[in-house]
Amino acid sequence: MVKMLKIVPQKCTGCMQCELACSWVQTGTFQPSQSLIRVNVFDEEASYAPYTCLQCEEAWCMTVCPVNAIGIDDAIGATVVNDSLCVGCHLCTLACPFGTVFTTPQTHTAIKCNLCGGQPACSTTCPTDAIVYEENDQHGDWFGDWSQKVETNHLAAAENGGGS
Amino acid sequence: MATQHIIIGGGPVAINAVETIREFDAAAQVTLISDERAHSRMALPYWLSGQVPREHTYTADDASLKQLNVDARIGQRVESIDPDGSTVTLDDGSTLAFDNLLIATGSSPSELQIPGTDLSGVQNLWTLDHTQSLLDTIDGKERPKVVMIGAGFNACIMVNAMYKRGWQLAVIARGQMPSARVIDEGGAALVEPWLREKGVELHCGATVPSITDAGDGTKVVELDNGTTITADAVVMLVGVKANTDLVHGSGIEMDQGILVNDRMQTNFANIYAGGDVAQGPALYSDKPEVHAIHPTAVDHGRIAGANMAGHEVHYPGSLSMNVLDNCGLQTFCFGNWNDAEAETMTISNPGGYIYRKLLWRADQLVGAVLVGPANDMGMLTDVGMVKGILQTQTRLGQWKQFLAENPFDIRRAYIGAGVAQKLIGMTLTGQASRPRGFRFDGKIPTAKVSDAHATFMGTK
Repeated sequence: MVKMLKIVPQKCTGCMQCELACSWVQTGTFQPSQSLIRVNVFDEEASYAPYTCLQCEEAWCMTVCPVNAIGIDDAIGATVVNDSLCVGCHLCTLACPFGTVFTTPQTHTAIKCNLCGGQPACSTTCPTDAIVYEENDQHGDWFGDWSQKVETNHLAAAENGGGS
Repeated sequence: MATQHIIIGGGPVAINAVETIREFDAAAQVTLISDERAHSRMALPYWLSGQVPREHTYTADDASLKQLNVDARIGQRVESIDPDGSTVTLDDGSTLAFDNLLIATGSSPSELQIPGTDLSGVQNLWTLDHTQSLLDTIDGKERPKVVMIGAGFNACIMVNAMYKRGWQLAVIARGQMPSARVIDEGGAALVEPWLREKGVELHCGATVPSITDAGDGTKVVELDNGTTITADAVVMLVGVKANTDLVHGSGIEMDQGILVNDRMQTNFANIYAGGDVAQGPALYSDKPEVHAIHPTAVDHGRIAGANMAGHEVHYPGSLSMNVLDNCGLQTFCFGNWNDAEAETMTISNPGGYIYRKLLWRADQLVGAVLVGPANDMGMLTDVGMVKGILQTQTRLGQWKQFLAENPFDIRRAYIGAGVAQKLIGMTLTGQASRPRGFRFDGKIPTAKVSDAHATFMGTK
């Protein structure tokens, strides 16, 4: 079984260290806007959770690529972009229904989470163990509870007249 | 006896079908008949722009087709289909019998009915040969001038490719630029000034009565408003039509394209069609639609391939969508972006070239337009999340009101409405997809890490 990134929303404090680490190791800048992992900071719902590619089974990015520039690194189970083949057509960014395949302004080629080759910096840097890299065959099993919480808290806030 | 599959075409439908058939059935006989060699049309602009060589557009070669055990008849055409007899007849007079047939003949640019289209240097820009021909015409000229007649998706993507070359460009659009088939009016209202600022000459709301030869190798394009433009080359891309000639009179049912069900079958259960030539199930439409776009071609090829190989899968329907880089201004459109009956939420900052429109039927998103400078747009999560909401047909309930107030906070609605978990485990063919394509032969991609990563890990 390959390792996956498991997110534990209850443990996330919204500190953004994962975004800084990711943008540094992936794009060489300390810019959260360039990070491939994005922390959802829902202050009104007191709910935080990092979000990145789930290395999904369908790999919409890979199948849509017109030049076969995206493949699977079987050793780590990650869908990866081959920079030297990517022409920058943005079809993967268009087709990924999770919103986790980007096109980088530096090179105008696709960029996505590649699990840092098996040593994900986001997980290493997380001070509260909200991002755990472990063997897990349940892609994103943490989503359901977290979505429910966001939805419920949002409804409650709306009913209290505050909205969000 | 092994099943006999015949596939007509060499585009993404055909190659995806071949590779999907092989995932399920190693023994089947597969024959591929294509007048052009297998390639991706989506990659042609990047060859034209000089970013990649011609070979980069190819999706299969002799070695990979051999590896897939395909009897490839490249350079040949199918002349006729006999659905009742389950045979096809080729241009060399030979007849081949099939158990399953896939028609993936694609589409062609519509022809302009005006004088001058037959002049040398006046051409369509659709095939490998067309692309080579334009490069030959322009070869050796410094900052050549090219006129593009048309403002559809293909015209726009080729304009961007030529812009990257530094060519002088003029675009003649019957209506807005990009056309209403590509984007809504509000989006075009940003693209037009952006293109003009980049030095692209736009003639919107104009038509071309004729093209003439100036005698010195240049062409003169005449507009109905009296303007004339002199150019080194003239490219015509004024819409596309499905390549259905082959099936006329065969008994295979057609409308705008060949009608197919959610398994890509025509009215003959063993004859399939896919891609630009097919009219099939579509999301956000009651009627079957032709979605002549690359992502639909890939889906159709994979669905058809699985079903042909005896693995029954059903297609939920294609989603109309497109992405364009308009000389640095990125546009993404999804679903029914010109639905006049839909309720719309629009936010616009023309000075910053930012525009967003969400279209609704009740609490269901049915379309979206996102525009912004390419450097920003490519790093947003919103683009894919909008696609996810539409693809899963998720009703957004209370989140509709939230988006009315916060149109740039797609993420919260996406998470709150539970879109991601619907997508987890969703596959097109009932199993995890695998990499494909001959480029991977001998060089399986591996995750690369930067020096910065080593430095970072060293501190932990």
